[in-house]
Amino acid sequence: MDIALIGNPNTGKTSLFNNLTGSYEYVGNWSGVTVEKKIGIFKNNKDRLIDLPGIYTLNPLSKDEGVVTQFLLTEKVDKMLNILDASQIERNLYLTIQLLEYGKPTIIGLNMMDVASKRGIHVDPVKLSQTLGIPVAPVVARTGKGCTDLAATITEGGIPTPNASLVHYGTEIEEAIGKLAELLEGKQNYSVRWLALQLFEGNQYVKQYLYSVIGEERLNLFLQQIKNTINTNYQTSLELFIFQKRKAKIDWIIADSAIKRNLTKTPLSEKIDAIVTNKILGLPIFFLLMYLMFMLTFDWLGFPLSDYLDRLITGPIASGIESLLSYVGASDFIHALILDGIVAGVGGVLVFVPQIFILFFFISLLEDSGYMARVALVMDRLMEAVGLNGKAFIPMMIGFGCNVPGIMAARTIETPKERLLTILLTPLMSCSARLPIYALFVGAFFVQQKALIVLSIYVLGIAVALILAKVFSTTILKGETSLFVIELPPYRLPQFRALWRSTWDKGKGFIKKAGTFIFAGSVFIWLLSYAGPSGMNVALDDSYLAVIGGFIAPLFEPIGFNSWQAGASLITGFLAKEAIISTMNIIYFVPDEASLQGLLSNYFTPLSAYSFMIFILLYIPCLATTATIYKETGSKRWTVFSIGYALIIAYILSFVIYQGGKLLGLV
Amino acid sequence: MIVLIGKLKKGEKGRILHISNTDLLVRRRLLDLGITEGSEVCLKCVMPFGGPVMVESCGQCIGIRRKEAIQIEVEKL
Ligand SMILES: Nc1nc2c(ncn2[C@@H]2O[C@H](COP(=O)(O)OP(=O)(O)O)[C@@H](O)[C@H]2O)c(=O)[nH]1
Ligand SMILES: [Mg+2]
Repeated sequence: MDIALIGNPNTGKTSLFNNLTGSYEYVGNWSGVTVEKKIGIFKNNKDRLIDLPGIYTLNPLSKDEGVVTQFLLTEKVDKMLNILDASQIERNLYLTIQLLEYGKPTIIGLNMMDVASKRGIHVDPVKLSQTLGIPVAPVVARTGKGCTDLAATITEGGIPTPNASLVHYGTEIEEAIGKLAELLEGKQNYSVRWLALQLFEGNQYVKQYLYSVIGEERLNLFLQQIKNTINTNYQTSLELFIFQKRKAKIDWIIADSAIKRNLTKTPLSEKIDAIVTNKILGLPIFFLLMYLMFMLTFDWLGFPLSDYLDRLITGPIASGIESLLSYVGASDFIHALILDGIVAGVGGVLVFVPQIFILFFFISLLEDSGYMARVALVMDRLMEAVGLNGKAFIPMMIGFGCNVPGIMAARTIETPKERLLTILLTPLMSCSARLPIYALFVGAFFVQQKALIVLSIYVLGIAVALILAKVFSTTILKGETSLFVIELPPYRLPQFRALWRSTWDKGKGFIKKAGTFIFAGSVFIWLLSYAGPSGMNVALDDSYLAVIGGFIAPLFEPIGFNSWQAGASLITGFLAKEAIISTMNIIYFVPDEASLQGLLSNYFTPLSAYSFMIFILLYIPCLATTATIYKETGSKRWTVFSIGYALIIAYILSFVIYQGGKLLGLV
Repeated sequence: MIVLIGKLKKGEKGRILHISNTDLLVRRRLLDLGITEGSEVCLKCVMPFGGPVMVESCGQCIGIRRKEAIQIEVEKL
């Protein structure tokens, strides 16, 4: 049995999903966390639960909302689980009415009762169930309270098909629905009442569907008729007329089943907002938080931890493996492959796990607390100036962790132009896989100003993104007004468990990648460095790797790093950014990170090292990001463009920095 | 007294009288959030340099741009 989980954004759908299916999907306190459907299996191992993006109505404005309508129109749904936020019951019931019209057995999960009672709202589940004619189960999705009962009710069947005519829309519309039923007679299986009302509301997905069933001309004629009737009889538009009918019904339902008391106490959220979205303090507070996150990751906490891990891996672990290999009498080839290839390549990446986890922890904290939406509000003015809107800043912030979910998050941006622009620019945000490279280079060349130098790289990434946004939005992506309406959810105290889950969920990808992709890549790179045109076990400079790297190396002469080593690592960097580190560890095979840093000074000057870091920041989206850009834009042209412009900008900037620096006498 | 949301002072409340001058998409989105003619709103904060404003209605907070906020007429309460 397929059960669809549907509800307003940020009402706890994914939390409930995780509880009911025992899986873990991405939860966060802002609208638009879930942007595509996720399927989970109930704990009874039989029924499937489908988590969907949050929607306010079935008539979509943005791409993620369209996912739900598309789902209802194309896939088989047996039952629906509609989750309601009890503290926003009015708004939530609007969607419920549309779902009941869809005509499938539905059950309501009444969530956020704790929030509601703090606001003085009490919803009576029994009365609500009587008025709507469907089961209502109170739950606390966050802790799992009530979830077993809910699961039992929904999987055990016996849920009545709801009364699809809960709202009576007046004779004109009811007659029109009847007429559509005649037109559709025997041609399709969806509830005609639902199709008709969605069509009247202006749902484009439903309109397209109906075009395909009865033809464009006939449908348009039919639609025009009812529009005219409502216009002349009531002096209002069809959409608004439907809205008002529903609203009246909702008011009636609420009067019957919810009690509201007016509390004079200001909610805590508003007190916090008085500070963090303060006119004067808003921006400085945001920058301060970013600075703290940054210093903890790179300096105060992350750096010593990574250092410790490095000593552990290159010391006891490497020598342990070495003695084990000698003990089993491994050949020289195996010896070299494991120690010089795998330990150097994979270990060199794993060293940075602590720093990456700290970064992810902070990103999760931003997401779960509710601050993310405030960032969008605070940044909107700046983003507007460059042709975007504040919401585009959320994908960019997520992009600091990993560009792939960042690009996916752009789905919540309503206007296609702004969404495309955000997709194209998110790769400029310095993701966590680029972090090891900076850590390595600042350790070698900028010991005194470590954090400052890395900060400058991150800021440069943002600055380039904003400038390019301005350039693109006034040239190739002109037109279309931008839209900015954002819901600011109440702050919620993040729970430690949820935070850890979410940090682990993001960070495990990094570890997994090290164990698979980087592992295989390290073996491959090591083989390329071991073999050469003249045979096996050649000197490094005669290896295939040197040949390949040397082929493109002259291109980088003007930007400061004409060495085959740099060339080779940049090629592998397209596969995954952390592969750059693996490659360098293998090429300059040295016992530990400290001696690698010593060795690097033979090949780089501080200036060329900086130029190299900037180049890596910008030069190309990694393979996974490129695939996501293609998937999200659906266009080869834009995908190629995203790679092309990045290469050009990276080259120009590195050139300016390197040559400019030389002119200033910084070598 | 009839004023525009964008012209309310921080903490002042009003009831929406007229919203149809705003951009169609913005109006649709506000309607989704349950904000339309007749809703009671309260201006919570204003971002600097002509940035967006934060408005509270029925216990939920929403950010909209100033240029939209000055299209919405309210009756001051
Ligand atoms: N106070 C409270 N918070 C909840 C409850 N259920 C979920 N949350 C929080 O609400 C936020 C949104 O949850 P999420 O599952 O991502 O909602 P979705 O957007 O509907 O999928 C998260 O911060 C949850 O921790 C609840 O019953 N009470
Ligand atoms: Mg979700």
